[in-house]
Amino acid sequence: MNDTSKEEELIAKLKIIIEGCATDPIDLSNFSTSTKVQEIGLDSLTILDMFYDIEQETGISIEQEELVDFRTVGDITTLLINKGA
Amino acid sequence: MKALLHIIEFALARVLLFFFDHLPYRLNCLISKGAANLWWWVDFRRRRVARDNILRSGVETDPKRARAIAKRSIQVFSMLVFESLRSDKFLEGEKWRDHVKLDIKPDVLEVLKDPNQGLLMAAGHFGNWEIAGHLLSRYKPIAGIARNMNNPWIEKLVQSRKARARFRPIPKYDSNSGRLMEVLNEKQILALLFDQHAGSYGMMIDFFGHPAATYKTIPMLHLVTRTPICYVECIRTGPMQFEVTTSHLIQKTLSGNKDEEVRSILEQLNQHLETTIRKDPTQYLWAHRRWRD
Repeated sequence: MNDTSKEEELIAKLKIIIEGCATDPIDLSNFSTSTKVQEIGLDSLTILDMFYDIEQETGISIEQEELVDFRTVGDITTLLINKGA
Repeated sequence: MKALLHIIEFALARVLLFFFDHLPYRLNCLISKGAANLWWWVDFRRRRVARDNILRSGVETDPKRARAIAKRSIQVFSMLVFESLRSDKFLEGEKWRDHVKLDIKPDVLEVLKDPNQGLLMAAGHFGNWEIAGHLLSRYKPIAGIARNMNNPWIEKLVQSRKARARFRPIPKYDSNSGRLMEVLNEKQILALLFDQHAGSYGMMIDFFGHPAATYKTIPMLHLVTRTPICYVECIRTGPMQFEVTTSHLIQKTLSGNKDEEVRSILEQLNQHLETTIRKDPTQYLWAHRRWRD
């Protein structure tokens, strides 16, 4: 699988994870690699939930240092691809 | 008008602080107690909440004795404010040894001394949690969530006091949701009080046998960042005398059952807090609405 289709697959997976974690209704109609995580309106607890579920879904362990280094959905997918997702 | 009110409040706060800083300790204690008694008689709603919480917890079954515990609890809280404001003087240098008996478990101490590890410090509204934070900040800088004062001048004043103890407040409604993770990434201590009503964000966990909405922040931070947790209690044993005790480290291996892991950690923390409260129920802040069903 090439990186583009891998990225699309991860975006779809992320979308499902975020929808499952969010406690309040959120609009993910324009969800893409350029979407800023802050703009989705996730609170800190939902973000933690999201990372827990990402690890469980992908089987990839995300290091503490990597958790603070993301701004966009693309940052997360790139990180996961680089880690072999 | 608002600006004028802020200036008046700030001036009053400065005057109060001046007295707190310069009056003898025992006189300040009397003033704190007097202020607490005044609050007790004025705020009948909290008075009732405190008494009802004590009865519900079962630590006391007699309404009269529960009322006495509730009143003393307000006085202890008032002392907390005063003693925290004076703590930088009492605890500076090696003076702290005259005021605090410190019992840090070896596994926690190891983490505190390791520059490559952060620590999640969990505490309840018991005794003087500010002193516990102040003491542990000797090992690593500490950050905690604090509600901003409405008056920016007083907020600045509060910040200047806390900064002396390497305490970094994180605003309660911080727009940066990654701020808590940044603290842990910098291998510092993140101190969080876990016994506030969490509303719809919480998980229902038994507290003294009754379900209470409890924040999931501490367990989730632990599960995601693998930062160890320790429970800390600070019992006031006399005038400016405290015993700070930590639990052993609380750590979980990821099993994939998030809810069970979170529940298990929160149950442990609530059990620790219950044990602490039973040692001296007058030192718990019963006046906040822990149960809201």
